[in-house]
Amino acid sequence: MGDVLIPLLIAATLAFALWRRVAVYDAFARGAAQGLAAARSILPFLVAMLPALALLQATGALGALADLLAPALERLGLPRSVLPLMLTRPLSGSASLAVLERTLDQVGPDSYPGRVASTLMGSSETVFYTLALYLGAAGVRRARHAAPAALLAWFAGSVAAAWACRIW
Amino acid sequence: MQWMWAVLMLAGVGFAWAAPTLGGAAGSVTQTLSQAAMDAVALCLRLAGGFAFWGGWIAVLEDSGAMRGLLRALHRPLARLFPGVDMDGEAGRAMGMNLAANMLGLGNAATPMGIRAMQLLGRDAVDGAATDAMCMFLVINASSIQLFPGSVISVRAAAGAVAPASILLPTLAATAVSTAVGVLCCLLLARGSRHG
Repeated sequence: MGDVLIPLLIAATLAFALWRRVAVYDAFARGAAQGLAAARSILPFLVAMLPALALLQATGALGALADLLAPALERLGLPRSVLPLMLTRPLSGSASLAVLERTLDQVGPDSYPGRVASTLMGSSETVFYTLALYLGAAGVRRARHAAPAALLAWFAGSVAAAWACRIW
Repeated sequence: MQWMWAVLMLAGVGFAWAAPTLGGAAGSVTQTLSQAAMDAVALCLRLAGGFAFWGGWIAVLEDSGAMRGLLRALHRPLARLFPGVDMDGEAGRAMGMNLAANMLGLGNAATPMGIRAMQLLGRDAVDGAATDAMCMFLVINASSIQLFPGSVISVRAAAGAVAPASILLPTLAATAVSTAVGVLCCLLLARGSRHG
């Protein structure tokens, strides 16, 4: 379904932009340059994270942890292979991108667990990082109900991701 | 972050010592580590293409006035969610810009405006405790509101997916659920903490 929408989205964006007299080629090139810079900026973190994860996986430590937590997750409809992603996603964007890549490599991007992992990644934020950054910037010490509400939202989103992947 | 990485790395090396699969052979650990480091560089190169391509489209959308359109569309719902904040004031404008940029996936543009908004909202804070408006803004920012998951589609394409964008609708649905639950929790908990 989504892959049918992409050409439509592209055509609609382009038609709308031309109608608004946007210099589309220049705008695209500017955005592409920013995208390249973004990829370049996560490279050092990928090189830091992926070897650590590969080692944990090769030794079976990651599998053991998944065995431990899987029953609770599976009761909620979440496949056990998304567990490493669920553990890293709230903490770091680049680390979870690395975990997503490993997960997709193992279970296959078009499989049900692969789709749930992708949906999880796209529908959530780095909860703890965001809270720490913004609270620190505002000089606020007590977050009151922001932390529990943000975590509940993240959890509801994860369960919703598993269900949504079953429907579509 | 640095503790998380250090713990992962130490645990990995520690388990390698104990695990029979790698047999404590120092050579295979080195092999695993260097192979993964090379894979990381290769992955980044493949991702760069997707990041650049989708980033290009977002920029075209941005230049067509998508930000202004979103800001206008967000004005009324935001005034509802943040009753104490003047949406045309400095803090309100920064919040609107932050949320609109986040929806378009322009994280780099969104963060500075979010920080500015939090600092302006923080002037009303009493005793270093976040106000209701700050909590609501935090929760919306911590639950994703991005409309187009370009980087995830890039990772899926790099992993050889037949249908890289098949997660578009589930992602939108999960995003909507998580943001709705966050906003609801905020409203309920704020009421509770005022009475309690």
